Amino acid sequence: MRRRIAIVEDDPAIRANYADVLGKHGYEVAAYGDRAQALAALRLRLPDLVLLDIGLGDEVDGGFTLCRELRTLSAALPIIFLTARDSDFDAVSGLRMGADDYVTKNVSLPQLLARVSALFRRAELGRDSARSEEIVQRGPLKLDLNRFTVGWRGGDVDLTLTEFWMVHALVRFPGHVKNREQLMSEAHVVVDDSTITSHIKRIRRKFGAVDPGFDRIDTVYGVGYRWRADEPPT
Amino acid sequence: MAGTLTHHRLPAVGLRTKLVLAALALLVIPWAGYSYVKAIERLLRENQQQQLVATARGVATALQDRPGFMGTPADGAAAGARAATDQVQLLIAGLARPGLRIWVVDRKLWLVAVAGDLKGPLPAAPGSVTFGPLEGAVQAALRPIYERLYQRPASPTEEFIPNDVVFGGPEIERALDGAPAWRRRPGPGGRAVILSVAHPIWVGESVVGAVVVEENTDAIVSLRNRAMEQLIAVTLIAFSVAALVLLLFASRLTSRLRRLRDEAENAIDSQGRVRALVAGEHARDEIGDLSRSFSTVLGRLAQYNDYLENLAARLTHELRTPIAVVRSSLDNVRMQQMPGELGVYVGRAEHGLNRLETILTRMGEATRLEQVVRSGERERFDARSVVAGCVAGYASAYPQRRFALKMTEEPVPLTGAPDLFAQMLDKLAANAADFAEGETPIEVALERDSGEALLRFSNTGPLLPAEMKDRLFESMVSVRKERRAAEPHLGLGLFIVRQIVEFHGGKAGAANRPDGSGVVFELRFPLAY
Repeated sequence: MRRRIAIVEDDPAIRANYADVLGKHGYEVAAYGDRAQALAALRLRLPDLVLLDIGLGDEVDGGFTLCRELRTLSAALPIIFLTARDSDFDAVSGLRMGADDYVTKNVSLPQLLARVSALFRRAELGRDSARSEEIVQRGPLKLDLNRFTVGWRGGDVDLTLTEFWMVHALVRFPGHVKNREQLMSEAHVVVDDSTITSHIKRIRRKFGAVDPGFDRIDTVYGVGYRWRADEPPT
Repeated sequence: MAGTLTHHRLPAVGLRTKLVLAALALLVIPWAGYSYVKAIERLLRENQQQQLVATARGVATALQDRPGFMGTPADGAAAGARAATDQVQLLIAGLARPGLRIWVVDRKLWLVAVAGDLKGPLPAAPGSVTFGPLEGAVQAALRPIYERLYQRPASPTEEFIPNDVVFGGPEIERALDGAPAWRRRPGPGGRAVILSVAHPIWVGESVVGAVVVEENTDAIVSLRNRAMEQLIAVTLIAFSVAALVLLLFASRLTSRLRRLRDEAENAIDSQGRVRALVAGEHARDEIGDLSRSFSTVLGRLAQYNDYLENLAARLTHELRTPIAVVRSSLDNVRMQQMPGELGVYVGRAEHGLNRLETILTRMGEATRLEQVVRSGERERFDARSVVAGCVAGYASAYPQRRFALKMTEEPVPLTGAPDLFAQMLDKLAANAADFAEGETPIEVALERDSGEALLRFSNTGPLLPAEMKDRLFESMVSVRKERRAAEPHLGLGLFIVRQIVEFHGGKAGAANRPDGSGVVFELRFPLAY
């Protein structure tokens, strides 16, 4: 069965471009230009994944509203926010909209496709409870590379896809400093330095919610970030 | 602002001085008063003289053609002469009064009769007091000056008619020659002036004697002096009051203008932010108008500044969507089977697009920073570790430049965000690396200086233009002359530095090296305790 992706985007050119590329990669695409139209159609039939623009026509936060409405229909539906504004990163995380990922519109289509397929993989594996094969274990940290889930000291850390990829990049070689460019390419994003900084801040906060004493991500000023390796047991 | 340099050169003649000088025009009033008093005095004198002449003529008329009265000594009859003298005495006694003396002489200057004396009544006490006790006080204060200016007239106390008056008086000689005459002669002691009028007494065709009427002029002099004193006092009081009022008015005006000037001068601070004026905001005069129109101008300037500062954010936002259209279209093209040549053009288009995005990212940086700054999360950190880490990183980031770091041994604790602090260092380093010339390393120094942290970035290279020194840290201000490399420059780097410095409660400044070899950026932060 072909997977069905809904695109809600008010700019017709972007909408058509995204629909074209996703269609060419074997997805079934439904594109909508405004919130009311999208909600009416999605109520009838829920897609497998939604690409959601935040500003929809006159509604500055129309995407947020739609996301909340979709979440009441399905808790598991993968949602990716597309934003034109950098500041939306903070809004998305601050409002805890339940999005699985968010990218700026300057994301390249291959990057977008990588995200879409990653989220599908996660949704699929999440459904069947089969034990995942690819697990990275670093002391109290557990990364499931198929489901894109993170565990810390037994608790679940609710990371977005981008954040997951960043953590993965850091923990692959504990103690090694990753600079911002490396983090960007590993997380399939093109953003500026200060956005990387706020991503790292959010990751720390999410780990902190599980373990208030969390301090494994070090800032190496002027260079980048580093995952501190486990201290030898005393 | 070139104006700030000239402002402090205060004008040589202030508004206050000018107003007081203008008030000197009021001095025309006492001069007019003085002339008036003089005219009145002259009038009074003439009037007195005419009165005396009339009296003298009246007496002479009463005595003329009555040979019995003025019997000649040749007629000899002593008893008759006595009786005649008594009658003359009787006649003139009725006309004489205190202050007015009448006497009659015959041709041989024998005194026939005399009546009245020169001891006149004291001049009337000052009647009209225009300013009450105030004037009294001024008069009392000025008394010694009056005394020096003129002597107060003393009533002549001539008991008898001096011989020299009788025998030497030219007016009497002229009267005996047949013509009425008058003269003013000094009174005894020379302090008073006595007006003396002589008139011939005719018997038939010959003059048999003369009538002399004398009066002292004390009353007039007193009156004049009194008027003068009053004039001086009133003028002095009026002038002082007027000058005081003018001075207060001018002072108030001056201080309002000064306040307005000071405020207008400080309305645009060194960071380029604009404040509205409050001095004279509600005044309904010209200064209020000036203040309001200043405020309007400043308001427009503030709007313009806001516009400039927000331009970057708005542009970023507005351009994102069309860029996304181009990028997604190019990506779509790339995913097709492309003939070899097409790939080159798509590659170039993508290269251009990437540059465009770099520009947009730079422009958005300041806005995002503002959001971070507004969220206001602060922690305590040691600036030394941030500076050391960053400067170590610059060696690889700018391989063509050398960085020399000098740091204090003591810890430099600051309150703020180390990430932002590092971002600020990056901007300063990028700036220094862009402008540095020659082989001399870029000097970075972190010190503790009188309770503050002092961070210095210094590089050899072109100097700052004088007019730009205050504006360097504003948004979209750049002193770069030529376009270097492919890196876009929007003049936002130092604006970001300023925002981060302010977030840390510090101050940023830029200056040329004293020896003129380069530029120093100096940042001061309060230490955290």
